[in-house]
Amino acid sequence: MLEIRSARKVFYRGQPDEKVALDGLDLSLATGEFGIVIGSNGAGKSSMLNAISGALVLDSGKILINGSDVTNMPVHKRAARLARVFQDPMRGTAASMTVAENMLLADLRSQKRTLRQGLNATRLASYKERLSILGLGLENRLDTRVDLLSGGQRQSLSLIMAVGGSPDLLLLDEHTAALDPRTAEIVMRATVRAVDALKLTTLMVTHNMQHAVDYGSRVIMLDAGRVLLEVTGEEKARVTVLDLIGHFSVKTDRMLLAS
Amino acid sequence: MGFIQDVLTSFVAIIPVTLAQSLILAFVVLGIMIPFRMLNFPDLTSEGAFPLGGCVCGIMLAAGMAPLTGILVAFVAGFAAGCCTAFIHLRFRIHTLLAGILMMTMLYSINLRIMGKSNLSVFGSPTVFDWVPFARPGFPASKIVVAGAIALLVFLALYMFFRTEKGTAVRAVGANPDMAEAQGINVWAATIGGVGLASAFSASSGALMVQSQGFADVNMGLGILINGLAALMIGEAVVGKQTVWRQLLAPFAGAIIYYQLVSFCLAAGMPPPDLKLATGLFVLAMLALPSLKRSRGPAPAREAIRE
Repeated sequence: MLEIRSARKVFYRGQPDEKVALDGLDLSLATGEFGIVIGSNGAGKSSMLNAISGALVLDSGKILINGSDVTNMPVHKRAARLARVFQDPMRGTAASMTVAENMLLADLRSQKRTLRQGLNATRLASYKERLSILGLGLENRLDTRVDLLSGGQRQSLSLIMAVGGSPDLLLLDEHTAALDPRTAEIVMRATVRAVDALKLTTLMVTHNMQHAVDYGSRVIMLDAGRVLLEVTGEEKARVTVLDLIGHFSVKTDRMLLAS
Repeated sequence: MGFIQDVLTSFVAIIPVTLAQSLILAFVVLGIMIPFRMLNFPDLTSEGAFPLGGCVCGIMLAAGMAPLTGILVAFVAGFAAGCCTAFIHLRFRIHTLLAGILMMTMLYSINLRIMGKSNLSVFGSPTVFDWVPFARPGFPASKIVVAGAIALLVFLALYMFFRTEKGTAVRAVGANPDMAEAQGINVWAATIGGVGLASAFSASSGALMVQSQGFADVNMGLGILINGLAALMIGEAVVGKQTVWRQLLAPFAGAIIYYQLVSFCLAAGMPPPDLKLATGLFVLAMLALPSLKRSRGPAPAREAIRE
């Protein structure tokens, strides 16, 4: 499904602050797998997601989605295959547009946009139904501008937008990190429900070790731009928060606090 | 009492002339609004695209071409100019305002090259305003009818477009380019097309203006940008900008009100040289108003504009 082959990216090459973000990273994710990516700050988690989505151009290496090479494909072309939820709720939605218009944009992610009317009755009804799953009342606020929603509501909307249309690959970039614990729980539960129901191939970056233990079928730990540890199957079922934290080369309080 | 009566009489006498002029210039205001509000791309190209359209239409008329052909060729030329500005910004990551300044500066030379001289009279050439039946040629009524009809057509077409799937995508590029890209929208195509279309409207306005006034001049764009911006601010203050309908209506309403206001000030005895200062102060006040209103609250989030 997703395959990263010896991906390499160096920032500020040749300068004193040269930084190797991805150091020959290899990773593959089977169809339907739910991978949880952990690692300390600067381990290359965000660089990896950016490389997959196309926002970051690799120095060398290859990225394959569903067997086809997307390494040289621009972001907007890859969008037909993958969907992404960002950490910052502001990034994943268009603030000055309405909830329904945002849903429409996501709806057309993998289609050709035509000169037909965008929002029609059929679509509005389906958006209403899809948003009602969240239980946040968003289904009654289709005409509300997104910048009037709370951060949690915006992030929930981003999630519904991302999972709609069953993307080949779902990328979640610490998507609950900016939310309060209760909202984070709502968004996380909605995420797991959608991933299970639609059997989405998912890659989730998180600093929350409890989430890494509770969810997903595989834990992938990055360090210095490569995979340091992979925990799958039986072992994944038995792993604990302390096991995971033990593997961090740089221990930060943030991980313990977040768990 | 006599003074007020004089002012009113001379103001009322030129209302039709001003209305015709404002309907023609409404397309420049539209050409300023589309990049600024729909694409979040503050664009100065119109200052060069307006005379570009005028010069192109001028030589076409002088060469004996049909007036409509002149407008269409001006439209295409303006479109190309706008595309260049957007491309300069996207490809070389040059600030949108600087890209616009570069383009309008270069256009000045291009406009001179096109005409071969700084001024060209096309008085007596046929114009699109001659097509109105029962109106004396050159009379403001025919200009109002023609410019008004085109304005209505353009307004409706744009309104329909921004409600389509493609139109919604273009608006998303202005609202959040990163998000738009992640939703599979080609940000380059939308930006280049959108800014191009806007400059095409500015150029068409120049072409209409040349047919209306009977001559083309390389300096006809001087200050058109600040006038257009002032008109847009008035329009947005009057009809609002919350919905696509209102946002699209604002340039037309604003142009009509603004030019009547200017004509009233002139009738009331304001010296014409002071006009630019007054317009500039007005635009400044309109732009500063939101931040003045909030001055007691916490520092407002800076308006996100593409850089």
